[in-house]
Amino acid sequence: MSNAFEDLSNAMAGAVEKAGKSTVLVDARRRFPASGIAYTADLILTADHVVERDEDIKIILFDGKQISATVAGRDPGSDLALLRLEQAAVTPAEVSKEPARVGQFALALGRPSDEGIQASLGVVSAIGGPVRLQRGGLLERYIRTDTIPYPGFSGGPLVAADGSLLGLNTSGLAHGAALTIPAELAWRTAEMLAKHGHIKRGYLGLRSQSVEIPEAGQKALKREQAMGLLIVGVESGSPAEKGGLMVGDILVGFGDSRVLDHDALFAHLTGDVIGKSVSIEVLRGGKPHTINLIVDEREAVSGEGFTPPFGGHHRHRGPKGRGRR
Amino acid sequence: MAGTTWLSMLSSALDELVERVLPGLVVVHGRRFEVGAGIIFRADGLILTNNHVAGHRRLAVSLHNGREYEARLLARDPEVDLALMKIGAHDLPVLPLTRTQPRVGQMALAFGHPWGQRDMLSSGIVSALTTAQTHNGRQIPILRSDVPLAPGNSGGPLVNALGEVMGLNAMIVGGDQSISIPAEIMREFAEKALSELEPHSEPRRIIPETVI
Repeated sequence: MSNAFEDLSNAMAGAVEKAGKSTVLVDARRRFPASGIAYTADLILTADHVVERDEDIKIILFDGKQISATVAGRDPGSDLALLRLEQAAVTPAEVSKEPARVGQFALALGRPSDEGIQASLGVVSAIGGPVRLQRGGLLERYIRTDTIPYPGFSGGPLVAADGSLLGLNTSGLAHGAALTIPAELAWRTAEMLAKHGHIKRGYLGLRSQSVEIPEAGQKALKREQAMGLLIVGVESGSPAEKGGLMVGDILVGFGDSRVLDHDALFAHLTGDVIGKSVSIEVLRGGKPHTINLIVDEREAVSGEGFTPPFGGHHRHRGPKGRGRR
Repeated sequence: MAGTTWLSMLSSALDELVERVLPGLVVVHGRRFEVGAGIIFRADGLILTNNHVAGHRRLAVSLHNGREYEARLLARDPEVDLALMKIGAHDLPVLPLTRTQPRVGQMALAFGHPWGQRDMLSSGIVSALTTAQTHNGRQIPILRSDVPLAPGNSGGPLVNALGEVMGLNAMIVGGDQSISIPAEIMREFAEKALSELEPHSEPRRIIPETVI
């Protein structure tokens, strides 16, 4: 006769078995191997920081089969890399229909050795974000769990009790602490990496710092907005210069939304706005102005070599190889 | 099924399991200190524990009911870190060894006396089925779990959702990698030890006495 605890036990083992079929070993660094998730039959999504070389990447599937892979695209900004298998051979992971909820059971899976799948059970402890990442990316949302991040679990999946994918685990984003990129965001990045090989980000060519907006300025805006971005530099030849943004302007809006800080501006500069005309709202001399400019594409941070996850030399290059945004 | 109903069923299933396992768990004492845990392997007083727990000159065993017995070391094997002891008691509640292959992800409960606290339970899942090389160069299967263990858990059982022994908790590596000696190795060790100790355990031939 089965009891509730037995049912739970069987369900957990079943979830590991199911998700384990889409969890692979990724051997692309000098130290111990890491893990990856099948995105399509021939594409593996993993953590960028575990991919130290572009060639001679070895993938081991759930049945022990070894396949070579090449880098299809990488985005160090969000610590994601997409690898292409020599041949279609994997079952793509099934993404959970429900986003992760605090308190739900979660299993962290990894395949850091050829001895089989490994797992750790916990609960979703917190859901946070947005958070600015060290290498210029912005993570809209992240998941934290109390699962144990065993060595080599980076790039592996966090799955729900039904074995569906909740996110991708990595220790490369938060100074070595384990964090999970929600499946929806990871899949969106994977889609762009499959298409372009890198993540397109918009570029304005301005440098700014957060400032308080004086009451008179808020009156002129006809709204309550305590913070804005003071423009302290404009790159020559950049969209910002062409559009007529000037040092001393306070940037307060992008399109129809308010911009209170860097993160808010950054969140608008996605790949979709590149080449499009956008309206930027500024306070100039205490009066509101609207400036239209065409967003450029920020030069991709190339995936050459290996940038330590927290090594200090983070590059944020614009079209001329310098400046931010 | 309503979530609360299912949760209370889960909770009572756990209660029932703990009630069933605890009587089969023992404390193993050294000369001065409590050194670890052990399990009742056979109703006539056979106790299984870790070799490193049984490595003391004078050994005693306390049962769950509080009774204390002197223990005699019958066999030990440092290679697999197992030891078999005998106490002078009978009709003891046995903890059965599982015959089911463990699966990664299945629930695992560790019973023991971490830091000397009696009869503590910690829970997790089987996290990996790996192998380890013994100092004699033999490859043995190893059960790894994410169940938190501490000194005092050594020799205690890792049980499955049915309350069957999946392994004997043997090592704590770096705080979060718990290692257990799987049931198949325990059974192999105990059977070998007993066949050497009890060569006459097969039914003896009865030679009818002839009256001259």
